[in-house]
Amino acid sequence: MAGDVRERVIKVVAETLNLEAGQIHDESKFVEDLGAESMQSVELIAAFEEEFDIEMDEEEALDVKTVGKAVDFIAAHLD
Amino acid sequence: MSVLSRFMEQAKQRSLTVVLPEGQDDRIIAAARRMKDEGIASAVLLGDRQKIEAQASALGVGLDGIEIVDPAQSGKLDEYTAAYVKGRDLNPNVARRMVKRPLYFGGMMVAQGDAHSMVAGVAAPTAFVIQAGVLTVGLAEGIRTPSSFFLMIIPDFQGQKQKPFIYADCAVNIAPTPSELADIAIASEKSGRKLLPEEPRVALLSFSTKGSASHVNVDHVNEALVLVKQRAADLKIDGEFQADAAIIPSVGAKKVKQPSEVVGNANVLIFPDLNSGNIAYKLTQYMAGAKAIGPFLQGFAKPISDLSRGASVDDIVATTAICLAQV
Repeated sequence: MAGDVRERVIKVVAETLNLEAGQIHDESKFVEDLGAESMQSVELIAAFEEEFDIEMDEEEALDVKTVGKAVDFIAAHLD
Repeated sequence: MSVLSRFMEQAKQRSLTVVLPEGQDDRIIAAARRMKDEGIASAVLLGDRQKIEAQASALGVGLDGIEIVDPAQSGKLDEYTAAYVKGRDLNPNVARRMVKRPLYFGGMMVAQGDAHSMVAGVAAPTAFVIQAGVLTVGLAEGIRTPSSFFLMIIPDFQGQKQKPFIYADCAVNIAPTPSELADIAIASEKSGRKLLPEEPRVALLSFSTKGSASHVNVDHVNEALVLVKQRAADLKIDGEFQADAAIIPSVGAKKVKQPSEVVGNANVLIFPDLNSGNIAYKLTQYMAGAKAIGPFLQGFAKPISDLSRGASVDDIVATTAICLAQV
């Protein structure tokens, strides 16, 4: 399941931040590597919520800095 | 009349609406009641209706005359979602999720003219309020940097009682670039225009007065001055000034030989960075016994305000009155 979550996370990140999926890796940092400004981070959280039909705590979610950690964070919400 | 009472009285003369997104908070409910009872503003509380009603009843506060809106159930959700995505490449379902969040719903109420102002921050961090503001009401024309200011009331300034000053930016931008500093100065002038009894005269502060010292930090302030003059030619702004030259006429006259509408008479003080701004406001507050009211957000297309997490009911009412004075 983690693999499926990873794929969907990468798809959402690519769509929201206008990137190619190939540019996005587990260790990619949203702000430093992927150029997510703080404004986009908030909408990225909403985009994850939409994709996975979950609700996330905004403050906790904004502490997640990398794509890999986002996959883990979201997978925990799906359990 | 104190400066605060003046804004309260001003608010009573107008019937304005404030949206309070943190509707379940005890202090927010009590503040909404007080605003209604004293005629300062009509408040709209956002949140789950049952929870707000239960909370109010536990507090012994009646809610008559106070509107409660649950963003998730609101008939305005479609309209606000459409307005939120307008002109942007954003999935409407994602936008809808954004707009259901109280801070964003409140921001859209202001953006769409259903409320005059939004006051939030007893639970949400400042950064969240700023983000919601940028994404909903947006920034004022020509401004790209949200910032903040304090209204400082000096009990006895050179013989003048209760003298108000605007200090900026003492809370948001840590190391503003010249362009950001220019935005802070322009937004602060606008805030001063709404809140000060006199015409705003803006000083860009430094450790140097008109080239008395050479340093990249001084150049930085002067670049900001050039940018302000390009962006808003009619502003009364000057610098770089040391603080004494900015506010004391005799010192200003001694240190500055060229004509200036600001020197010695500034009432809007722009600090070069957050170090100096934050230190200055706290020293003024405690050493001069000044009242520091704020921080207020500025630079937005419509007035929105942050609250500190420790804000009292009095603070919330006062902040709302001052925020509405900017409408």
